[in-house]
Amino acid sequence: MAGVGFRKWAQALTKSKGTGISALLSGCRAASGGSKGSLPGSYPTTPEEKAAAAKKYNIRVEDYEPYPDKGEGFGDYPKLPDRSQHERDPWYKWDHPDLRRNWGEPMHWDFDMYIRNRVDTSPSPVDWISMCKQLFGFIGFMLFMFYIGEKFPSYQPVAPKQYPYNNLYLEKGGDPEKQPEEVKNYGI
Amino acid sequence: MHPTSLMMTTSLMTIFLLLAYPVLTTLSPAPRAADWALTQVKAAVKLAFFVSLLPLFLFMNEGVEAIITSWNWMNTLTFDVNLSLKFDHYSIIFVPIALYVTWSILEFAAWYMHADPFMNRFFKYLLVFLIAMVVLVTANNMFQLFIGWEGVGIMSFLLIGWWYGRADANTAALQAVVYNRVGDIGLILAMAWMATNLNSWEMQQMFVTAKNFDLTLPLLGLIVAATGKSAQFGLHPWLPSAMEGPTPVSALLHSSTMVVAGIFLLIRMSPLIENNPAALTLCLCLGALTTLFTATCALTQNDIKKIVAFSTSSQLGLMMVTIGLNQPQLAFLHICTHAFFKAMLFLCSGSIIHSLNDEQDIRKMGGMHHLTPVTSSCLTIGSLALTGTPFLAGFFSKDPIIEALNTSHLNAWALTLTLLATSFTAVYSLRVVFFVSMGHPRFNTFSPINENNPMVVNPIKRLAVGSIIAGLLITSNVIPLKTPVMSMPPLLKLAALTVTILGLMVALELASLTNKQLKTTPTLAPHHFSNMLGFFPPIIHRFTPKLNLVLGQTIANQLIDQTWLEKAGPKALVSSNIPLITTTSNAQQGMIKTYLALFLLTLTFAALLVSY
Repeated sequence: MAGVGFRKWAQALTKSKGTGISALLSGCRAASGGSKGSLPGSYPTTPEEKAAAAKKYNIRVEDYEPYPDKGEGFGDYPKLPDRSQHERDPWYKWDHPDLRRNWGEPMHWDFDMYIRNRVDTSPSPVDWISMCKQLFGFIGFMLFMFYIGEKFPSYQPVAPKQYPYNNLYLEKGGDPEKQPEEVKNYGI
Repeated sequence: MHPTSLMMTTSLMTIFLLLAYPVLTTLSPAPRAADWALTQVKAAVKLAFFVSLLPLFLFMNEGVEAIITSWNWMNTLTFDVNLSLKFDHYSIIFVPIALYVTWSILEFAAWYMHADPFMNRFFKYLLVFLIAMVVLVTANNMFQLFIGWEGVGIMSFLLIGWWYGRADANTAALQAVVYNRVGDIGLILAMAWMATNLNSWEMQQMFVTAKNFDLTLPLLGLIVAATGKSAQFGLHPWLPSAMEGPTPVSALLHSSTMVVAGIFLLIRMSPLIENNPAALTLCLCLGALTTLFTATCALTQNDIKKIVAFSTSSQLGLMMVTIGLNQPQLAFLHICTHAFFKAMLFLCSGSIIHSLNDEQDIRKMGGMHHLTPVTSSCLTIGSLALTGTPFLAGFFSKDPIIEALNTSHLNAWALTLTLLATSFTAVYSLRVVFFVSMGHPRFNTFSPINENNPMVVNPIKRLAVGSIIAGLLITSNVIPLKTPVMSMPPLLKLAALTVTILGLMVALELASLTNKQLKTTPTLAPHHFSNMLGFFPPIIHRFTPKLNLVLGQTIANQLIDQTWLEKAGPKALVSSNIPLITTTSNAQQGMIKTYLALFLLTLTFAALLVSY
């Protein structure tokens, strides 16, 4: 009696099309979710494999270009141009307007870097080298000038007061017979 | 207890309770009243302002300051963290000013944000920010200051990203948080150094025990913290980007209160800084560079809020210069006067923007003096105060700073840069007034453009009154702690005025040229440098995240596998052994008979040698 129940349970477990442990036991997959054909595969070598890969990723065959096979593990994932979402037309009616992306579009390998909150690859009015030269030249110039400014500081000159009559020699009680020494604090 | 100190303590506690009460009422599930923002929040801030006047008058009359330690929070055998509030000269003057400015901004925000469905939440955020700011300025220990510091940072993030559906606002909020975080590294470094070396976070103990230490490292940390929070050069791009937030946010956080927190930290720590010439020189040079760089960027901007934002950044650089001159009280005076006219400039900008149907480009404004005379007059008053026009608020703080610069022994280039930035201030201020108020309108006719709503005009008028008399009031009632240099040649005394007038004349000349120019946008290289903010944001915001993210991906995807499988594992075994194997097997050519013959020959010779 219990054995019959156990057998039925074991059959249900192995023949079910669920996920988790039953899928582990039976090897079956549920009908929803990605099929095996939609997962990334190995690097395509023949034109037929290239065409199949292009169809899988929803790109035209002429646009499809896989990453070079250098052992980095990209497989047949397409190499899309390194353009961030900033460069896409802000006025076009995208399916996801905030992401500037349509449904089913292939995602760039580094899509998380190219979202609108992160790296912007749009062309700048001034080219990159010129920008770097101007900014770092400015910073370098400022640092150099600060160094010069430390060498030649600005200050109000201060000197002891110079009195007339030989620095008031006689008034200060100096000997009238002796020749006073010249005290010159500053010249005019 | 002495009645004066009792009154001080009571007032401070009352202020905290008044500000916290509206926030606590939001914890209940019952919905707020329709006019909760005006009747509860604005009223709370207004009442707190009048309450805070009591300690202010006590201080002005008797010079009394209070330090209140009210709660032992975390106390170990050797280290105490208490809830201790310092109501000294700086916080007694700053709290009423912050509350006055916030009161005006809240009244304005009730008009500006009236169409927003979440206005109550907006006001709650502003109130939480204000509480965090008051906690920061009244903190007597570093832990409490840090709580306030982080609190204002988080509220800044929430408020900049108020319109979170806009990706640019999200990016700006993230920028603010990340740049502030970089500054926080410095603050935490300083706090850690103080905890380990001075064994306390209480300011009084720190100032006494720090006398025998070399304080360069913690001071560098504090300067980095101020660079992040107060948008000094290097960590400055977040401040202009923060203009993505609503104008009341820009007026409160990013002009009057939050951005001065970094300078306020340095002012609080001034007893530590004043004996360290390296730190002082660093503050001076960094402040001078900031003030000139941001003033240069402000010259060619076309968004009215961006111009005012860069103006704020430039004045913050000037405050940093003042700290570098070892004049913390002058820097504090500038914080106070700056709060008035900068908040007013922002409110005037907000009023004009809303009137022109959310137009922020000054090239599409013009002739506003005929349409909104009070707003445009207050814009002019604010600009004049900013440039240091004699006897307005800015004059009483800016002029002593320039005089102190001219009469001190300091880096000559820092002096040059600051004077140049002062004249640039006049240039961009005139540019704003010229494009916005003067001339003829360059926009389509809108209706209604008027100033009939008192909720717009009264705050601006209140702040205008502050912009005119605040400088005089504070300087006549507060005794300076350092003797200012009184005697100097007339040229130095009038230096600030001279460079400002020179700047104004240059700006007037440029303004008259503007009417005759043919191209809409200039194509000169210096214009590009200024307009694109010195190319700092494009370079840093493209290069650094890309480097970090690509590096992260490469390490995660390839480097670990490559290391363990190729460089240190099976393939390494192969690649290290193959040369050995090749050498060995190449050496052996397979000539077995020759090897045997040689072997036997060698054996024979050896046997012969042994036997003989």
